[in-house]
Amino acid sequence: MKLNITRRVAMAMALAAGLASAGAAQAEFPDRAITLIIPFAAGGSTDVVGRIVAERMGETLGQQVVVQNVGGAGGSLGAQQVAAADADGYTILMGTVATHALNPLILKQKPYDPVTDFAPVSLLVLVPNVLAVNPELPVNTVQELIDLAKKEPLSFASSGNGTPLHLSGALFNSMAGTDILHIPYKGSGPALTDVLGNQVPIIFDNLPSASGHIKTGKLRALGVTTATRAASFPDIPAIAETLPGYETYTWNALFAPAGTPPEVVAKLAEAAKTAMEDPKVVEQMAGFSATIVASSPEELAEHVKAEMAKWEPVVKEANVSLD
Amino acid sequence: MDLLSNLALGFSVASSFENLFFCLIGVLLGTLIGVLPGIGATATIAMLLPITFQLEPVSSLIMLAGIYYGAQYGGSTTAILINMPGESSSAVTAIDGYQMARKGRAGIALATAAIGSFFAGTVSTFLVAIFAPPLTIIALKFGAAEYFSLMVLGLVMSIALAHGSILKALAMVVLGLLLGMVGTDVYTGTPRFIMGVREFSDGLNFVALAVGVFGIAEILRNLEDEHDREMVTNQVGSLWPRREDFRAMIGPILRGTGIGSILGILPGGGAILAAFASYTLEKKVSKNPKEFGHGAIAGVAGPESANNAGAQTSFIPLLTLGIPANPVMALMIGAMIIQGIVPGPNVATDQPRLFWGIIASMWIGNLMLVVLNLPLIGLWVKLLKVPYYILFPIIMAMCSIGVYSVSSNTFDLYAVAFFGLLGYAMTKLRFEPAPLLLGFVLGPLLEENLRRAMILSRGDPSTFVSRPISLTLLLMSLGVLVLVFLPAIRKSRDEVFIESEG
Repeated sequence: MKLNITRRVAMAMALAAGLASAGAAQAEFPDRAITLIIPFAAGGSTDVVGRIVAERMGETLGQQVVVQNVGGAGGSLGAQQVAAADADGYTILMGTVATHALNPLILKQKPYDPVTDFAPVSLLVLVPNVLAVNPELPVNTVQELIDLAKKEPLSFASSGNGTPLHLSGALFNSMAGTDILHIPYKGSGPALTDVLGNQVPIIFDNLPSASGHIKTGKLRALGVTTATRAASFPDIPAIAETLPGYETYTWNALFAPAGTPPEVVAKLAEAAKTAMEDPKVVEQMAGFSATIVASSPEELAEHVKAEMAKWEPVVKEANVSLD
Repeated sequence: MDLLSNLALGFSVASSFENLFFCLIGVLLGTLIGVLPGIGATATIAMLLPITFQLEPVSSLIMLAGIYYGAQYGGSTTAILINMPGESSSAVTAIDGYQMARKGRAGIALATAAIGSFFAGTVSTFLVAIFAPPLTIIALKFGAAEYFSLMVLGLVMSIALAHGSILKALAMVVLGLLLGMVGTDVYTGTPRFIMGVREFSDGLNFVALAVGVFGIAEILRNLEDEHDREMVTNQVGSLWPRREDFRAMIGPILRGTGIGSILGILPGGGAILAAFASYTLEKKVSKNPKEFGHGAIAGVAGPESANNAGAQTSFIPLLTLGIPANPVMALMIGAMIIQGIVPGPNVATDQPRLFWGIIASMWIGNLMLVVLNLPLIGLWVKLLKVPYYILFPIIMAMCSIGVYSVSSNTFDLYAVAFFGLLGYAMTKLRFEPAPLLLGFVLGPLLEENLRRAMILSRGDPSTFVSRPISLTLLLMSLGVLVLVFLPAIRKSRDEVFIESEG
């Protein structure tokens, strides 16, 4: 009898505890740490943006946001892992133009679908790219570069095959009618080194990674790849001023697995927005030449579709495909 | 003089109480993760990045730098004690260091590594201070053709690493090259040798390979032979080098420091080559080359000095150009950007406190390491007395955690198991793992630069001999080949009978 009572008490307690935790899960979404998967190695620009945002979001949500780098296959291993994760909002992805527009277009075997496998959360920032040359190359404007490229063979360096920077160059070639040869590297760092040493005269790079060299004159910036000039470098013209309609940029956005409850997505998006409005974050992003967007989930969904539509013809024309 | 006032500024920044404290935290943490096999500096620095947001930029970078060279330091401790190199550069230390430990000279090996590292660290810190800008210019002169020729030289030198049959060493280099080919081709994006496994698309993980062929293979070998193991653990001789040991290490330390300082500047592979190059050189100049592979003190002193010198001078491209020489440096750039510092040539002029503070802290950090570690040697050596049935499961668990932490990829753990078995089979067949590792590291760089040079020259191979630096390096390779093969051919005639006896 005594045993029976204790058992009943135990059962009641277990039930109560279960109810309480279920209730808490519905009422207050993060009751444990959230994992933010960054699909690239630590140290890159996506990693830096991700770590800044994760820290601030953690403060707002009252739970730690733990960053995990799952690099490999141009970001698609990490993206695939989030696509397959439980749709409870505790595993989210720092997506980029590569994971949610370029890779799905380029890869012959698609490991995930960028639209149907994810619940968009928020488009965080846009980062401009820049077309720059070694100062020894005798060109000062985009037009002069196009003229020179039509006369003699030139090469440009990029961070790798199928990266946004490679395709920025491919789009440039296709719009300007030039045939500048692409030299891929393993990442931005080695590409930049060879352009600084004038082994390769031209580079397409992220503006933040090249900005130090542009400021000191080790690189001559010919144009930014955004439709309008970048706020941090008002003196650099946009390539679109010479080639109307030219526009590329790198972007970072948060995604949850498809099927994540809308209220959880909304809460994550709200926390991301609060994080991006923090004055310190605003300052850090400005130093990074990144434009803060902090969009709603719906706007991000539209953005992904628009980016896929924009890049599809470029990828086809540049004839890039990976197995 | 400008340099003196700059150094004075640097030391005044680095010796503030706060910065000394963070430097100490950094080197302590670095030593710790270096000693835990497999857990690398990259993962630790990545995990600590968010904490550094709250710190002063100088303090945070001093701490991160401390972790980096502390780990280099701690890595050699495990390489010597349990044949488990955590970093590519300590793979070379493992060759003779571990043999010294097996002969009861673990304390001397550890002391040699400590002294060599400290000396190299001191010299190269001053090199960084004095020559950073001009040395950067040399690094920029290295294009694809030069890197290709440098890798050729490295591979040629790797043959000298073998202390057995040259043919077997060559076979291992080739196997290493082939393993290095696994992954996505940089130029066409074609996956090679990935057998449908997408986890292979970025290539095999170096840490998994090194931990497998060195560490796990060694554990398997130890478990097999109870008697052999008892002998290792019970023979712990004197801890402190004797006078003749000191005499034997001076030359290698000086040469290693020189080689490491020069090669460390080159982004990509430079620091790894340094340790291998120093080992080769020591074996060549030694009066008893046969000692190498069986516990030669020069085989520890040279490579350890070279790798520490390289670790310091690899800050040169970072500080003067904002270019990362390795993944750890890439993380440091990330840390600088977060702090609102744009890495690049302007750091030295815009942020003299930061620039010179870091440089001064490197020397202070090295001093701390030596002061911390010399007394610890006794403790480390005692670790060898821990019963093996307790020690080896701990080592294996640490390795697994470490390898997993590199990119959170369970696949890497299978790779460790596979390479452990491969390494074991190699030991049984008397193949050396070091040439395999060198082939694995240099192969992809060799190919990438060969093809890039050919693309840039639009298919004209004369680019390798028409560029002076490249030509010099190729001629040096030819010279080494002649040096290696002449005596080998002569010896093989003399020793053919002796070898068949053994």
